[in-house]
Amino acid sequence: MEYLVAGSVEEALRLSGELAARGRRPRYVAGGTDLAVQLAGEAAATAGCAGPTAEPAALVDVSGIPELLRLESARGGLRIGAAVKLETLARRTDLPACLAQGARAIGSPQIRALGTLGGNLCNASPCGDTLAPVIALGGRLALVSAQGRREVPAEEFFTAPKATVLRPGELLVEVRFDEEALKGSSAFRSIGQREGQAISQVNVAVWARDGAGIVSAIRAAAGSVAPTPVRLKAAEQVLRGRAWSPELGREAGEAAAAEVRPIDDVRAPAAYRRLLTAALLREALGEACGKGR
Amino acid sequence: MLLSFTCNGQAVRLEAEGAMRALDVLRDLLGLTGTKEGCGRGECGACTILLDGEPVNACLLYAAKLQGRNVLTVEGLAPSGGAVGLHPLQEAFLEEGAVQCGYCTPGMLLSAKALLDRVPRPTVPEIEEALSGNLCRCTGYAKIVKAVQRAAGAGR
Repeated sequence: MEYLVAGSVEEALRLSGELAARGRRPRYVAGGTDLAVQLAGEAAATAGCAGPTAEPAALVDVSGIPELLRLESARGGLRIGAAVKLETLARRTDLPACLAQGARAIGSPQIRALGTLGGNLCNASPCGDTLAPVIALGGRLALVSAQGRREVPAEEFFTAPKATVLRPGELLVEVRFDEEALKGSSAFRSIGQREGQAISQVNVAVWARDGAGIVSAIRAAAGSVAPTPVRLKAAEQVLRGRAWSPELGREAGEAAAAEVRPIDDVRAPAAYRRLLTAALLREALGEACGKGR
Repeated sequence: MLLSFTCNGQAVRLEAEGAMRALDVLRDLLGLTGTKEGCGRGECGACTILLDGEPVNACLLYAAKLQGRNVLTVEGLAPSGGAVGLHPLQEAFLEEGAVQCGYCTPGMLLSAKALLDRVPRPTVPEIEEALSGNLCRCTGYAKIVKAVQRAAGAGR
């Protein structure tokens, strides 16, 4: 498998284009913690097969591109480069709480030391633990290709399990958050089959702004309850403009449990996922809106 | 590609496929077989090495990512390759009987070293969190956690 290292966004796009023109299947790689497992699986599946196989994959490593490693909190908001490590986000204390908490929930220390925010987003697993936080914070994804640059709201980025709006050769460069997102309070909750290294059965992120005890603005999102991470719009409707109380949190939880569309799978039955959605939303709201009340 | 990096304090230059696993570079090209392959998919931590001081799974790490970096494997843990005694963590693992079959031990040691370098006096939950990416199927972890506590108390 060919492996090329890009030093800049322009070089990454050029290398990817050249590989595609030569009939290769270029993939951008940052930490590689998901992709290495996936490609090794594909290689094992096709080994010894005589029939036609997919064109060989070729990797373009983007993990050292300076533009993808920036983490800037400045006037006008927060910008996080796509190759910023999950462990970096997990340890920062100056980021929106739900993002650091989501990053901390992923894998093991070893995985977080390699894995990146952009990789977790582009891998687009419905249970990825940074997806709901980025959606709840109103994140926008900056995508660059030979055709130019565009910004996609995080909640429009995911189209199906493991699928996104990324076009062939397009690269996620950074995730941007408005200043407003930094002013609210946020929280993330997830649950898996055990504490360490477990894949989330459900995860929930909320972001809220408080106006004299009233929930004046709210965004809530959940993962592993539908083919893509989803906004919990019915729950938001319940919350918006109301005075915060644990009872309101319970009401919002019930609305969320009713609006999600989970499936039965190897990790949890759908009915349990609905219960978890309600409970985790209630808990996350308690942290973001309740402030210990 | 031509790779240049530091491994256990020594400068290394070698030719390797960029998409090769760092695990295979260490074991097959450098003969450093202390780094073990367990699951081969980043779940068990037996292949843990330190890359610029951070624990990573060598089975998921592409060789190209070694370029210019500083690698520590279990062979480099004791000063002078063990000629003048073991690392305090290795001593503590022996003292506490924290080794049974030994397959997870190199990875455990390196995850523990990364923790103690960052947090010299960790709490038990901090130790458990730091070792959460390392599976042991023999001892049940209690002695391993005690060994890390002992090493932390040994004036590191």
